[in-house]
Amino acid sequence: MRNRHLKSLLNVLIVSLLFLSNISFADNSKVLNVYNWTGYMPEKVIQLFEKKTGITIHYSTFTSNEILYAKLKTSPNSGYDLIVPSADFVDKMRRQGMLLRIDHKKIPNLKYLNPDLLNKPFDPHNHYSIPYLWGTTGIIVNTRYYSKNSITSWKQLWQHRFRNKLLLLNSAQPVFGMALHALGYSINTRNPKQIKEAYEKLLKLIPNIKLYDSAATQTFFMDGDAVIGMSFNGDAFLAHQGNPKIVYIYPKDRALGWIDNLAIPKNAPHLKNVYTFINFLLQPKIAKMISMAAGYSSPNLAAIKLMPKNYRDSNILNPSAKILRNIEFEADVGKANILYQKYFEMLKLQG
Amino acid sequence: MKTNILFRRISINIIWLWIGLFSLLPLLLVFVTSFLSQGTNQFISYHFSLHSYAQLFSPLFLEVFARSLCFAIVTTLCCLVIAYPFAFILARLKTNLKPLLLLLVIIPFWTSSLLRSYAVVILLEANGPLNSLLIHWHIIDKPLQLLYTNFAVVIGLVYSLLPFMIMPLYANIEKLDQRLIDAARDLGANQSTVFAKVVLPLTMPGILSGILLVLLPAMTMFYIPDLLGGAKSLLLGNLIKMQYLAARNWPMGSAVSIGLTVLMGGILLIYWRFTSRRDRQALV
Amino acid sequence: MSRLFKSSYILLIYCFFYLPIAILMIYSFNNSTYSSLWHGFTWHWYVALFHDPSLLTILGHSLLLAFVAASCAALLGSLCAVILNYYKFKSKTTLYTSIFILIILPDLVMGISLLMLFYILHIALGFWTLLIAHITLCLPFVIVTVLGRLSDFDRNIFEAAKDLGASDMIIFLRILLPMLLPAIIAGWLLSFTLSLDDVIISFFVSGPSYQILPLYIYSMVRLGVNPEINALCSLMFIATLFIVAGSQLLLTKRR
Repeated sequence: MRNRHLKSLLNVLIVSLLFLSNISFADNSKVLNVYNWTGYMPEKVIQLFEKKTGITIHYSTFTSNEILYAKLKTSPNSGYDLIVPSADFVDKMRRQGMLLRIDHKKIPNLKYLNPDLLNKPFDPHNHYSIPYLWGTTGIIVNTRYYSKNSITSWKQLWQHRFRNKLLLLNSAQPVFGMALHALGYSINTRNPKQIKEAYEKLLKLIPNIKLYDSAATQTFFMDGDAVIGMSFNGDAFLAHQGNPKIVYIYPKDRALGWIDNLAIPKNAPHLKNVYTFINFLLQPKIAKMISMAAGYSSPNLAAIKLMPKNYRDSNILNPSAKILRNIEFEADVGKANILYQKYFEMLKLQG
Repeated sequence: MKTNILFRRISINIIWLWIGLFSLLPLLLVFVTSFLSQGTNQFISYHFSLHSYAQLFSPLFLEVFARSLCFAIVTTLCCLVIAYPFAFILARLKTNLKPLLLLLVIIPFWTSSLLRSYAVVILLEANGPLNSLLIHWHIIDKPLQLLYTNFAVVIGLVYSLLPFMIMPLYANIEKLDQRLIDAARDLGANQSTVFAKVVLPLTMPGILSGILLVLLPAMTMFYIPDLLGGAKSLLLGNLIKMQYLAARNWPMGSAVSIGLTVLMGGILLIYWRFTSRRDRQALV
Repeated sequence: MSRLFKSSYILLIYCFFYLPIAILMIYSFNNSTYSSLWHGFTWHWYVALFHDPSLLTILGHSLLLAFVAASCAALLGSLCAVILNYYKFKSKTTLYTSIFILIILPDLVMGISLLMLFYILHIALGFWTLLIAHITLCLPFVIVTVLGRLSDFDRNIFEAAKDLGASDMIIFLRILLPMLLPAIIAGWLLSFTLSLDDVIISFFVSGPSYQILPLYIYSMVRLGVNPEINALCSLMFIATLFIVAGSQLLLTKRR
């Protein structure tokens, strides 16, 4: 009796294994492997594309550039066709030959993109990357507790009145970027002296730090667990929608800017499908859906025109040209990254 | 007879193949990596270096070790203090519902540990249920800052690891012979003497295995300190993760991993010294 | 200790265990996407859940992975335990030590070391790497559970079986496996739980084509937990309760 149970269990096992191997050897020409940030693409967009082209999308997500980079570096044949690295990682990956050169002729919809966001130093001719979503990092504050006009720059976050109040992003780059801007340096500096100075500046900020965000920034602010701090503009926009008292400020000593880009890794197995998909993503209608669902700014000018008024005219999402000029965009810092990380670890140890 | 030898040989080889290929070989890779140096374009450059180990003994890393150990010890003690009476009462209940009650301890742990930690976050929030309740009952008049403190981290760790303390304690206490306690009582011992001189020594193996099962994971859980502690204090788990990902310093991450494994091995060795062979089997 | 004190203490601990679960379930009805404060009641997330094919696919992936991993680990683990208990061979002590190393090895180190192995062997990350990692993760737990049970056995049964001419394989399949079944089931359940909940190891060894639930939840937490996940987990919790209640009923009936 028991023996028969075992046998049937084994049978189930073998069948399921066979079933699985079938999946992995299935017809590959109608497939596309997309690796994107969590929450960066609404389900609807994938469904629309699949319906329209008959191509099946394997969609998976990551939560940091480091993970994306580590995955691609350790298994170059992992099979991803389309990835979405941030500017600094585009820089690093293209220099290391990890990206494929993009043929612009195959993507007619490129014409919709905002020229102000193209040809940035991290990829001078956009040979390897196409802006997908972009944003800024600035100051977020709940005006119920602090008046908006009293906060205009990063420097002010060091003031005594913010003791044990600040929320900081949980990664070295924005935290040091803020300190470097407060000191008047570039956020992409590789100069060890300046980095050390920023670290020493941050040490003085410790009494003010309440937490590093480990979940979604907007939740902390909407629920009143944090009242002032640094935030991506998209999160600030969501928080502002939920509670108009929460506002976003572009600091005078320059906000930080970032661009997340579509890129094709070397060895991408489904090249033809990738171009179809990229072109599809750049359609104004689709780009609008993506930007509105993710809550981040679209580089697609035609898409912005299609958006409802509160998105289109939002200063948080679509800053004026004057503000845009006062934003410094992130780029690769090369070996200095080790230094940044070390100081960030030391900072956390003091806290 | 031939089939016996064949069966024996094949099964031993299968086990060795699996353990060798998928646990010893990878561990060896980590070990080797810890002696290499960090590459610029690749994660590793193949130059022998003791740099990572030298850094391991720098004040920065020693402090992380010490801090993690401290958190783990506090967590373990809390678990022990909470779990011992619980396991004791449960094991000595005179009902056939005991297996069910024990199962009820485990069931919550079939739900994602991450989501349960997140639920603890919701519970402790400034405007969350706990604070609202305390204010409603006029116990406090301003929300307490519970979240993003070391207190919250310990709560989260205790919550996640408590069953690992309860299980071995329960198994041990259930085997406790009531006649020994009765005998001690008959000989005139009072309650605290019975506990200190009879019950405690007899349940020591259970206590030790519980400590082992809680202390080790408490050192490396990285998402609980992040979620509940506001990622403010750097613990070992976070440090290793940061070394491998953010800093892209695989040799350093490997050295910390090896250091951690050696530390845990050390703890296990201490445990080994204090227990007899029979008790070790009680652990399993 | 008075009876009242005892029962209230037990009750208190159970409350501590179930309070977060209760909160999780309550918030699956919360009418707000990002906020974790109460914003009114809604069924919305349950409706959304059943119209979200990707989430259900991910759940399917996770269940399949956990099932296969737990089954393989149970088979391999019990074989290993039997070998350790009944045979004498040269590498036995080394095998014991290796298993203990496997037990104390932090999850994090295991995940990274496996990633390095797959990197060197050029194995693409995906279902198979996840499966290998999860089996390796679960293996020591099964071995330990089965060994515990084996040590209580009467060896004479096997001597008798041998005298009657049974080969080792027959003994393993016909006598040992059935007798060990409770322990194997316990090990299987433990493995299933571990596999379904593992974030740390999967984090390193997962690939593009095979997304699993714990990792999906992990990324959700950073983005603001979507109550849809709460809804999913509430349903899974209720399902487990039903399965447990059902099996309890069956067991008592059989008695």
